[in-house]
Amino acid sequence: MKPLLEVRGLTKLFGEGCDHCLPGGVAADEGNRCSRCGTVVGCGGVSLEVYPGEVLGVVGESGSGKSTLVRLIHFEYDATAGEVYLNNGQDAPRQNLLEASSFRRRQVRSRAMGIVYQNPTLGLRMQVSSGGNIAEKLLAAGWRNVSEIRRRAADLLRRTEIPVERMDEPPVNFSGGMQQRVQIAKALSNNPQVLLLDEVTTGLDLSVQARVLDLIRSLQRELGIAMIVVSHDLGVIRLLCQRTLVMRHGRVVESGLTDQVFEDPQHGYTQLLVSSQL
Amino acid sequence: MTLSEWINRNKRDGRAKRLDYNYAFLDEVSKREIRRKILKAVAIPGYQVPFGSRELPVARGWGTGGIQITLSIVLPEDILKVIDQGCDGSVNAVNIKRFVNVVTGVRITTDTREATLIQTRHRIPEEPMTERQILVLQVPYPEALREVEPSEAVTRRMHAEADYSRMWLFLYEDIVKFDEITIGYRYPVTVNGRYIMDPSPIPRWDIPKLHMADTLYLFGAGREKRIYAVPPYTPVVPLEFEDYRFRVEDFKGRACERCGATDTYLDEIIDDVSGRRLWFCSDTGYCDKRCSR
Repeated sequence: MKPLLEVRGLTKLFGEGCDHCLPGGVAADEGNRCSRCGTVVGCGGVSLEVYPGEVLGVVGESGSGKSTLVRLIHFEYDATAGEVYLNNGQDAPRQNLLEASSFRRRQVRSRAMGIVYQNPTLGLRMQVSSGGNIAEKLLAAGWRNVSEIRRRAADLLRRTEIPVERMDEPPVNFSGGMQQRVQIAKALSNNPQVLLLDEVTTGLDLSVQARVLDLIRSLQRELGIAMIVVSHDLGVIRLLCQRTLVMRHGRVVESGLTDQVFEDPQHGYTQLLVSSQL
Repeated sequence: MTLSEWINRNKRDGRAKRLDYNYAFLDEVSKREIRRKILKAVAIPGYQVPFGSRELPVARGWGTGGIQITLSIVLPEDILKVIDQGCDGSVNAVNIKRFVNVVTGVRITTDTREATLIQTRHRIPEEPMTERQILVLQVPYPEALREVEPSEAVTRRMHAEADYSRMWLFLYEDIVKFDEITIGYRYPVTVNGRYIMDPSPIPRWDIPKLHMADTLYLFGAGREKRIYAVPPYTPVVPLEFEDYRFRVEDFKGRACERCGATDTYLDEIIDDVSGRRLWFCSDTGYCDKRCSR
């Protein structure tokens, strides 16, 4: 089977870089900051594949480059180096999207990708109605019929358990859990092929966490969307993901089947991570 | 010295001329730059071309963009008409045409058909214009996306990537709140299927006149230092949804109090004495013409 999303050697340096850290970035055991030039390695040569319908987990401590990785894939930062391919069956020639024009990247993003951030203020316009937030994505994908847009938005909100009567209220009126579900509805609106979830349950209380996770799992089963789930919470990863990458200092230190990684961790850091779980 | 004395002092051969100024006030290099920018604007319909807005004897924001375009393209044989909100006789219109007449000696008219060059603020004349004419529009805010995005750097990126979902979202939110699109003037349009353009504060009534027109439309924003254009026979489509269509102002049941026209854009005027609401053609040149028929 062909992977849906391929990432090769994705690198993001915050800073100039120097001879000491440049080819390949700072050695992982040295941390992620170059001792000579002060360059920080956000993401150092990360490669991964996501297959259709697969859920890939990314774990690691804070500062390990998980969010940077997701945002690089979502084209929010300019990568220093690397390749990203999306094999979505369209006729367009296979192209490294990091080298594509920003116009093309925007098209790929608005037609094939969805993202949910930890902080709903990043993913939503807080003063615009919830329906409008979903509409924005549909409008970007070329929808031009208000009643169709509203039908689709209502449908998504119903699925994510937001009362449809509150569709025209801005998310600023909603609780944190509801905002998160509006974000998920927005991310799903364009039928994305890849959904990026960046610490979606962090900061929610346990019962709300459970409902959001249930929602994600049922949507995944129903729609078969490929996902990259970023979390520092091993429980979330274990629940959702078939395969997992463990990141530290901007690099992947271990990867494999989720159960295998957590039952039989090979890398010292993964062992520490697993044994630190309460 | 009054203006008329100053003008008379510099009259030669019956034509007004101010010898210590260059023809058309601006120096040749400036005019050449502006003409070059106009050519670029014509080549990329709806794209805002930055230009070096020159100092003029009026403050920026008082039609200097339009005046600079007019001065850069006006030929001695041109016949000029200047209108302000449709009116040939308002202070701005009169002063601008007098100024251009002083520095070039071109003939002035109020007849849309006779004019070869028309500078306007906030209206497009009612009478259809031809390929031989150019309409110059004064623009206060050239950026159609400014309503939704305050940063110039960001709006330029949005134009470059055709990232117009926020403009569409603005219209969607309008519909959600008011069940219609409430933009009365400066109605955003898509030019040639690519750029979203601010048509300057013309009423919705005038928007259809931009579509596949015979005439070249040039837009000048002096304060904001931008020139853009709609060349002849270019598709200009107002933003609209399939189920919420663009529509022009509705004057059903009303007619001009002076000429009786029922197919023109009307201004509402309240009579101070009787308190009655009266309606008049906003295009005074056209109204005069109908009255004298």
